[in-house]
Amino acid sequence: MSKFLSVSLSLLEGFATTCLIFLLTLLLAIPLGMVITLGSRSRIKAIALPCRALVWVVRGTPLMLQLIAIFYGPALLFGIVGFDRFAAVLVAFTLNYACYFSEIYRGGMDNIPRGQREAGLVLGMTRIQIFFHVTLPQLIKRILAPMSNEVMSLVKDTSLARIISVSEIIFVAQEYTRQGLIYPLFYTGAFYLLFIGILTLLFRLAEKKTAYIKV
Amino acid sequence: MEYLTVENFKKSFGGTQVLKGIGFELPKGSILAVIGASGSGKTTLLRCLNFLETPDEGKICLGGEVFEAGKRYSEREIRAWRKKFGLVFQSFNLFPHLTARGNVSLAPDLLARERAREKKKQLIKEGMGRRKASAAARAFRRELLQNNARRADELLEKVGLLDRASAYPHELSGGQQQRVAIARALALEPEILCFDEPTSALDPALTEEVLKTIRTLKGHTMIVVTHEMAFAREVADEVIFMAEGRVEERGTPEEIFSSPMSEKLKSFLKREYYDETAIS
Ligand SMILES: Nc1ncnc2c1ncn2[C@@H]1O[C@H](COP(=O)(O)OP(=O)(O)OP(=O)(O)O)[C@@H](O)[C@H]1O
Ligand SMILES: [Mg+2]
Repeated sequence: MSKFLSVSLSLLEGFATTCLIFLLTLLLAIPLGMVITLGSRSRIKAIALPCRALVWVVRGTPLMLQLIAIFYGPALLFGIVGFDRFAAVLVAFTLNYACYFSEIYRGGMDNIPRGQREAGLVLGMTRIQIFFHVTLPQLIKRILAPMSNEVMSLVKDTSLARIISVSEIIFVAQEYTRQGLIYPLFYTGAFYLLFIGILTLLFRLAEKKTAYIKV
Repeated sequence: MEYLTVENFKKSFGGTQVLKGIGFELPKGSILAVIGASGSGKTTLLRCLNFLETPDEGKICLGGEVFEAGKRYSEREIRAWRKKFGLVFQSFNLFPHLTARGNVSLAPDLLARERAREKKKQLIKEGMGRRKASAAARAFRRELLQNNARRADELLEKVGLLDRASAYPHELSGGQQQRVAIARALALEPEILCFDEPTSALDPALTEEVLKTIRTLKGHTMIVVTHEMAFAREVADEVIFMAEGRVEERGTPEEIFSSPMSEKLKSFLKREYYDETAIS
């Protein structure tokens, strides 16, 4: 029983790392995705093309590969060593998810009728005012469902961090398999399910809160 | 005394010239009706007047101020010009995430916030402490916002929708939506109010309530693009008939509808008007 408790506690510690990766990635990728969206919609080619190229590369290669490239790349290319593992995870995840988010934002923005922006312009609103008071509220409503899918994937993708030895929950559980203990690995599933369950409820709440907007 | 003068408006899209030198004058408080076949450039004219399109050539004089196409204007100056003109769209374009009241007061509220921020800067420049300036600006903003709320309700009452002030656009009929859009356009007190076929997206049954609302706005300077010939004849002080990007004929409603001169206008009226009223 005390073994079970110690397993639980160390899994919980791993889970804290999992949650941290998840939260920080979301916090950074949500706004960065918007920057990429606005960049790739820009009329200035020198801004739009690099943004689109970035999205293409990031969406076209596995996250695992990106993670390895970001962690080992600087050492291989420039001989810089000691790049923080956790930082590498954050950079790779943020970049990856920002690109996926940006595609969702782009689709959502394309679906907002031109007339909305024009109505704002005619009322003397600035571009920034139009973005925050006309476009964004309608965009949030439109992207809620596809965003919830991506966010759920992120929860599970955090487990990729173990390939550069960041001790998230799966990494911790795998350590136990070395000691011949298999059940902690299956035990992690309970943590994920709990997390996903809470997110599902949150997204449902958000959908309810925005139900009054009919777009 | 002419109040608004539009001179020689030209606009091309790709290789095709849509406006080929449009001009007209409008005294303050008068109503100009613009009629013409589909594709003759009526919408483009209104979009140019509201700075949604930039004319290639042309000039606007309004109350002593002059806008000349081709000159460079800052975004701030364009905004100031946009505020002089209001536009009611064919498809309403209400903001779906805001109530009727929210739609009417959004732009004035944003303006109030800007003015409060400017006031704060001004007070600090005049040597007032930061804290005190913030408090003064907040009080100023609150007062402006309260005024806006009162004004929004007045406007909704004017279009007969005060009781629906808390409704979202999708909860309103097309006619009601368009009336909210009219209230919204009036909120910034534009000098010229433009309508682009305000009833053409509506069922005939809902058309009349919108026309009725527009009738109550007599006294505002207005430009009304419309397919409702009887309405144009009734409310307009002057009518312009546009054909292929030009003013083909202009005159009083009496002149345009009872004694059209050009062949184009005659055949247009035959299709659009006499049929409708079954005079011919
Ligand atoms: N953004 C644009 N790009 C290209 N062509 C355009 C654009 N806007 C308008 N046009 C063209 O300009 C011409 C005039 O259009 P406009 O909408 O001004 O006509 P209209 O008189 O308002 O017609 P309707 O009665 O059908 O509303 C049309 O041939 C249209 O295809
Ligand atoms: Mg039109």
